[in-house]
Formats: sequence, C-alpha cells, structure tokens
Amino acid sequence: MQAKHAEHPPVTAASPADPGPVQSENDESPEALTPEELAAQWEAEAPERAGGVANLASSLVVLGLGGAGMALSVGLGLGTPAAPSAGMWPFIVSLIAAAMAVVQLIVGRRGGKDGEKFSAMSWYTVIGFATLILMVVLMPLIGFEIPALLLCFVWMRWLGGERWRSAVLYSVLVVVAFYAIFIAALGTTIPRLF
Amino acid sequence: MDFFGPVLDGFGTVLDPTNLLYCLLGVVIGMLIGVLPGLGPAATIAILLPLTYGVEPVTAIIMLAGIFYGAQYGGTITSVLLRLPGEASSVVTVFDGYVMAKQGRAGTALGIAAIGSFIGGTIAIVGLTFLAPLVASFALDFGPPEYTALALLGILLVATISGGSKIKAIIAAAVGLFLATVGRDGFTGAERFTFGNLSLADGIDFVPIAMGLFGVGEILYNLEERHRAVSAPLKVANVWPAGKDIKQASGAIGRGSVLGFFLGILPGGGATISSLASYALEKKTAKDPSRFGKGAIEGVAGPETANNAAATSSFIPLLTLGIPANATMAIIFGALLIQGVTPGPQLISNDPELFWGVVNSMYIGNILLLIMSIPLIGVFVRILRIRAAILAPITALITLLGAYTIRNSMFDVMLVVMFGAVGYLMKKFGFEPGPLVLAFVLGSLLESNLRRSLLVLEGDPSGFLTRPISATLLVVFVFVAVWPMIKSAIDQHKNRSMAVQAVNEKENA
Amino acid sequence: MKNRLTRRSLLALSAAGAVLALSACGGNVGGGSASAEFPSGPITLTVGQAPGGSTDLIARAAADGMADSLGVALPVVNKPGANGALATEEVAAMAPDGQNLVLLNASLITITPLAVSEEEAVSLDDLDVLMGLSQDDYVMVASTKSGLKNFDDIKNSDKKLSFGTTGVGTGSQLAQELILAQADVEGTTVPFDSGSPALTAVMGDQVQVSTVQLGEAKPQIDAGTVTPIVVFSAERNEFLPDVPTAIEAGYEVPVSQYRAIAAPKGLSDDAKQKLVASIKDAVATDAYKSFNEKNMLTPNEISGEEVTTEWNELAAKYKELTDEYSISLAGK
Repeated sequence: MQAKHAEHPPVTAASPADPGPVQSENDESPEALTPEELAAQWEAEAPERAGGVANLASSLVVLGLGGAGMALSVGLGLGTPAAPSAGMWPFIVSLIAAAMAVVQLIVGRRGGKDGEKFSAMSWYTVIGFATLILMVVLMPLIGFEIPALLLCFVWMRWLGGERWRSAVLYSVLVVVAFYAIFIAALGTTIPRLF
Repeated sequence: MDFFGPVLDGFGTVLDPTNLLYCLLGVVIGMLIGVLPGLGPAATIAILLPLTYGVEPVTAIIMLAGIFYGAQYGGTITSVLLRLPGEASSVVTVFDGYVMAKQGRAGTALGIAAIGSFIGGTIAIVGLTFLAPLVASFALDFGPPEYTALALLGILLVATISGGSKIKAIIAAAVGLFLATVGRDGFTGAERFTFGNLSLADGIDFVPIAMGLFGVGEILYNLEERHRAVSAPLKVANVWPAGKDIKQASGAIGRGSVLGFFLGILPGGGATISSLASYALEKKTAKDPSRFGKGAIEGVAGPETANNAAATSSFIPLLTLGIPANATMAIIFGALLIQGVTPGPQLISNDPELFWGVVNSMYIGNILLLIMSIPLIGVFVRILRIRAAILAPITALITLLGAYTIRNSMFDVMLVVMFGAVGYLMKKFGFEPGPLVLAFVLGSLLESNLRRSLLVLEGDPSGFLTRPISATLLVVFVFVAVWPMIKSAIDQHKNRSMAVQAVNEKENA
Repeated sequence: MKNRLTRRSLLALSAAGAVLALSACGGNVGGGSASAEFPSGPITLTVGQAPGGSTDLIARAAADGMADSLGVALPVVNKPGANGALATEEVAAMAPDGQNLVLLNASLITITPLAVSEEEAVSLDDLDVLMGLSQDDYVMVASTKSGLKNFDDIKNSDKKLSFGTTGVGTGSQLAQELILAQADVEGTTVPFDSGSPALTAVMGDQVQVSTVQLGEAKPQIDAGTVTPIVVFSAERNEFLPDVPTAIEAGYEVPVSQYRAIAAPKGLSDDAKQKLVASIKDAVATDAYKSFNEKNMLTPNEISGEEVTTEWNELAAKYKELTDEYSISLAGK
C-alpha cells in the first residue's frame, strides 16, 4: 500500500493473463471466503467496543448539554403552553435529551454493542483535525493555496505514509487542479492568493 | 389530453441534444464525486451546485437530475467495493453487497443495483406523474396543524427505524431539534443561543451540518481506520448480471419499487427508511433468511431499488407542498430556488412546463444512469484504487471549498470542520448522525407549525383531531410509536409456539 | 536524516516565502491593491438574501447592466444572514475602493431596528449609498372563502380573524400591525417564514388575511384565488390601479420596501462617479425595465443622498408610529 508503487500512477491494472476472479456461474473464486469465514474475519477485524466508561462519559456530556439547554431556555422565557414564549420548545427538546441521557446512563452501564475504543491511531485523527482548523484559520488571511498545499502534504506524508517525492508531487498537482476547477473554471470567490 | 399534453410537451424540452448532453455530464460528474469515500448525495450535489449556475434554468434542472442520480449511484459503488456507504440509505447495501464483492461478484452486485435503481426510479416517476397533481390538489388543505403532524411523524420514523440503539437515536434527534432552534425566533424575534454572533442569527445552515457530520466525520474516522482499510478489487467484470441473478432479484426489485415509492412520500428520510424496510422485508419473505448477510443478491437489489424509488418519490412533497423530505431534497430545493423555481402548491398550476420539465428530466437522468454506469464502473474502480493517502486530502479539500461556495462564508467552513469533529466523536461513542441531521431539517418546520397551530386554534390542541388530515397523520404516528411493542409481543408469542412445535417434533422423531 | 529533514523543510519554507512575495496577481485576500485606475478588476455585488428571492433577482438584473457599462465582470455573491445585516456589515468593513458593493433593503435600516436589540441594528453611517433602485409594495389579501371584500369587512367582522405576515421585523408585519391598531381590530397575528407560505395559507383559508409583497400576490390576485384589500404604498400602485391605498381608506401606513446599491464609506470621487453612471446606464436598459415590469417593481431611481435622507426619515416615522400605537414587532 505504501511506497512500493509510489512512482507510478496508483492504478494497478490486472495483467491480461489474470483469469478474472469473477464468474457469476461459479461463485467461489480462489480468494473468496465462505460467508462464515468472512463473518469471523469481520468480527476479529472489528475495533473494540467503546465500553462502559465511554457510555458514562457520553451520557454525562449529553446530560450536561441538556441541562445547559434547559437553563438557557428558561432564560429566554417559557411562557404558557397556550401562549409559548421563545424558550418553551428548546426547553422541551433539552428535557427529552437529558431524560434520555439518564436512561442511557443506566441501560448502557455495562458498555453495550456500539461505539469504538480510542486507539493509538486516534492521534492521526487529532492531527488531521488540527490541520483542518489551521486551514480554516489561514484561508481568509493568505488564501487557500498555501494552506491547502500544507494540508495535502501533511496528510500524504505523515498521515498517509507517502514518500517525500510523491507527497510533494501529488500535493502540488492537487492544489493546481483545485485552482483550475474552483477558480478558473467555476469562478468561485474562494479566498485566494493568486 | 388535458393531463397528458403538458407531460408530453415536457419530453420535447428534455430530449433537446444540449439538455441531454448536460444531463449526461451531470450523471458522470455526479458519480465521479459521489464515488469519493465519505461524500454522499447531499454533499455531492452541494459541491456541484456551482456548475449549474451558468446555464439556462431548464438545462440546469436537467443537469441537476443527472447529478442527483449519479451521486446516488456513486454511494452504492463505495458500499459494495469498500464497505463505505456514501449515505445512510446505502448502509444496508453493505451487508450483502460487500460480501458479494469479496466472493468475486462485485460486478453482479453493482449491475443489479443499477438495474434495480433504474426500475425503482422509473416506477416512482410514473407514480409521481399521477400522484403529484393529486397531492397538489389538496395541498391547500395543508395548514399548520397538518404540517405539524407530518413533521412529527417524520421525526418519529427517523428515530425509531434507525439501525443502532433507539435511545441514542432519540438523543441524536433531540440534539438535532435543539440545533434547529438556534437563531432568531420567528415568532418573538428573540435571539436564541446565538451568543451575539451575527452569523448564527438566521440559524445554522443544514448543509454545513450534513457535510460535517457525514463528510468530514467520515474522513477523520478513515484517517484512524486507514490501517484497516479495504482495497477495491483489481477488476470488476460481468457487470450485466446473469439471467439467473436477475430472476432471483426480480421479486426484490418489484417489492422494493412499491415499498420505496410509498415510504419516500413520507418526510424524514424516506430513502433510508425504505432501504432498511426493504432489506427486512426481503429477509422475511426469503425461503432461506440465513443467506442474508452472506451475499444474497436480493439483499442488494431490494434496498437499492427501494432507496432510489423513495429518493424519487420524495420529490412529491417537495414539488407539491414545498417540504424537503430529507437532506438531499433540501439541497435540491435550494438549487431550484436559485433557478427561479419555487417548489410549492402553485408550481404545478402556474408553471406546468417547468414542473413537467423537472419530472421528465428524471426519466432521462435515470436512463442515462443505467447506460453510463455499466461502461463506467471500471473507471470508478480505478479511482477507488488510488491510494487512500492521496484520496483523503482531496476529499477533505473538496468538502471545505465546496462548503465555502454554498454561501461564500468562512463561518460555514468552520462549522463543517467542527461538526466533522462531532461526527467523528458520535461514531466513536455509538451515535448515528442520521437522526440528528433529519431532525434538524424538520425541526424548525415542526416548531413553527406547532406554534402557528396553537395560534390558529387559539391554544386548543383538540383542534388537531377535528381536522381530517392531521387526525389521520396522528393516528399513524401513534401506531408507529406503539408498533414495536405490539411486534415484540407477537414475536414472543410466535417464538413460544415455535419452541413448543420444535419440542413436539423432537419428541415425535 | 534529521539534518536532511530540516534542510528540506527550510527549502520548502523559503519556497513558500518566495510564493508569498510573488503575490498580488489577482488574489482576493487582504487589503485591495490601491491601483489608481477604477475599476481594477471584477466588482463584487453582495446580496444579504438567499439566491432566488426578489432582492437577489433585482441585484442580478442591475449587475448585468452595470457590468456591460463598466466593462468588467460584476458577480453577485449571496451572503444571507440576519435579514441582510451580515452582508451589509461585512461590506461596510471592506476597503472603500469601489470593488465591493452591497445591495441594501430599506427594511434593514427602517424596520429591523424596531424588532432587534440596539447593538444589532444596522445604520447607514458606514456606507456611501450610490443610488436607489426601486420600490416594492405590500398588499393585504384575503381568502375568497372568508368573503372579505374590503377593509371595512375586516373591521366589522364579528369572527376573530387570523392575519398572516411574512415574518417578524418585516414590512409586512409592520404595515399590518399598524393598520389593525389604527382600526382597532382584534386579531391573531400568525408569522410565516416568508411570503410564499403566507400566501398559500390565505389561499387555503388557513388564515383569513395576509400581507405580502405585490410581486408574489399578483398572479393569485389575477387568478381570483385571493381578494386584494388595500395596498400600503403612498399612492395607488400602477399594477393594481383599482385597489385603494391604506391612506385612502383613512389609515396612516406608508410602508413599502425600497432597494438601493451602496459601497463602503470613503469612496474616491472618480470611483463613485463611474459607479453611479454605470447604475444609471443599467436602469436605462430595456432588459432592466421589463424586469421591473415583470416583477411589479415601481422604479424609484433617486440619488444616494436622497436615499439616505428618505430612509432615515422613514425609520424615525416608523418608530414614532409604533410608539404611538404601542406596537411591539418583537412579539408579546
């Protein structure tokens, strides 16, 4: 997946000698697994469930948001059911959210079957998010080109494990292509340097 | 002739070579962007909207129909090949579609999905042709109480029919409803939850929310999951399914078309609900339900047919009542407004030419999709073979710049990134973004019509039940709300009798 | 390896620096390059309303003519938000080089301040108004089912009526509240999100009366699905000559929507003259005139100074009237 084909276009064509794995008359190609094997493989591949602590945390966050929503709504004024004021509806909605959070807190205390644990790879997401924020901050100041170039480069080189050469090359190509499409062809008003 | 005259005239417009060319272009570009991982139809159409600005209104609408169908199908391709559904309505396609791809039948899965989409879409357009004027004829009876009941029903359906935890779905929906209240209150003029920020005075636009939760959320999640990433098959052959496959899938396609058409009319994400419902139906009617999840062709054909039929029939509430039934429709709504077409009860009588132009362009978009998808699947497979490391920043940039172009607002881009983080966290903590987005879309509709109803009915809620349409809708609402309880009771009863039967059989043996 | 890395990074940095130095060739960020010639490139006309609405259409019609006259592109950019306050404040803060213009709705200056807090209200102080464009009148319509034919029917109705408006802080609300207060009519005011649903509600008799913009109501008035009651312009509207004005009916309700084009304050004389001349050229074209006709807009092409005076007077007038009849646009 990584650097092996870096110099070549990323499309790997099947060699002509390759007997296409697809034959609808004959479902089982050499590499195909039986459904049971697949199911087992997926199960093993699946990330670990988020667990009880995550449930506690997320339920408390929702509860907190619901509480804050109710407090702010009361600040707007509730009015009466027949003549509701601005805060009535958001109050009801926040109340539902908070009540459901309490239910979830109890129902999901042992974890349950949804969610995923954070892993060491989650740092990649944090870095990715940070570059996106940086892009949003820099775009109005110096246009989209340089931030976009940096974002592409960081994502390709460090988050994607591309080699230096291909990361630089593809980053430049991507930014040029975006300039051509969004600025030259579509004439949008995206902040730009050039 | 009174009825068919304008319908046939519409075809003349649509078949103009220029229009056909733009429709073709729309289908291809729609698929091209829609196939990028993480970008569903709503995001794709939003990104491509600027393309339609410079052309004639009718041509632009026809192109839009092409983009719409292309984008829908793009999501199917990634579901089947990469286990990455472009949007909620393609989620169930993953179950059997991806397994089929693993078994080397990716071509068959994509082919049957294209055929099913075409049939479902076409049946739905025919239905729309006859039903839309009917709905429009009583659209004027739709007052605030009716809209309230309709929105309530939509939100309930979204929250209860979603895949994961029901409680979490309700929480997500409640958060969506709350976010919809941000901005100036339309009744008192009070600023709600804007914290003095002028960009929030009109509320949060739903496009950044949808693009953030679905698009950026997915992109961020994929960064982490890259090491588990699935690579697309080298080659996809036999796109035209064998006779045996078509025969096997035909029942599913037929049922999916009808189911999708009727569920699509309901507000609140008809396409998603109908794909789930169709999958459940196929599993229930199958002779051997255990094949499902293991590469059953009906499990791809049914939902893909149903979601396309539903996506098409959700044009009915949009074009006749001016209600966008889901996020994608809401973007189409905006796009039509830009072209000077105001969807609503008056459209069909005031501007029949345009109305039928819109409807007929869907036939063409649908046909072109079928024609184009088969030769082009190879191209899309190649796109998916591009290393994720290179594709990911491209997708991220398309999303950010696309978000900017919708309202020329940096604030919206910031929102997209923020909601991207929220979407990622929701995914990690087991919340689905679907109910949130759809509740958000219906939220202001629900609140303002509820309050408007109270004004018109002078604070007397019994007025909801004395009006025939709202009363009917509320009965359906109650039925849907209590149905899971009834169903579990029935299931329990059935299980018990089956268990008894099994024991008896054992004893007899 | 580490060494190489830093060297490469340095190289990349200096390259980026060079790129930065080479800027100023068509970018649109930062302060505009102060070139002597006006116009120095495409001029952006910002609209504070969503695409497709009447304000947007007016902007596009005017921009077409101005682009031809000035010989540069004149893209219309929509930045909807807060009834146009967002776009207006953004443009007002830009460099006064004439490359950025904004299309103003009078209601933002004259009516919105009555409904929102003081710090949110927008004033004309930071803007150079270039020229007025047109006047868009409000008309009160009644449902055919209600049987209401004129304002006296409304006044003498023994049923409690409901009255639709196009939203809080709009001319539709102000006009309707004023006439109802002056005639001492008790009724329920029902705000809708915009003109189209308010009109549809009247057609279906969901509310008995609504006040909407003429351009929206005209097709339905012509089709006989709604009955026009009064128009709120000072004089009879040329598109509805048979419908009395509120003033004729004996009520002081001079409410209309006006539109004008403005630039950030401090425009050079040269730029201002060229821009005003281009607007004059634009409104003189046949295309623009037929656009006005088609959308029931009454031309009101007055100078920027007159616009400023008129709008400020209207703002004061509305303030006085709402105080006099103790009307609050911001709900109960």
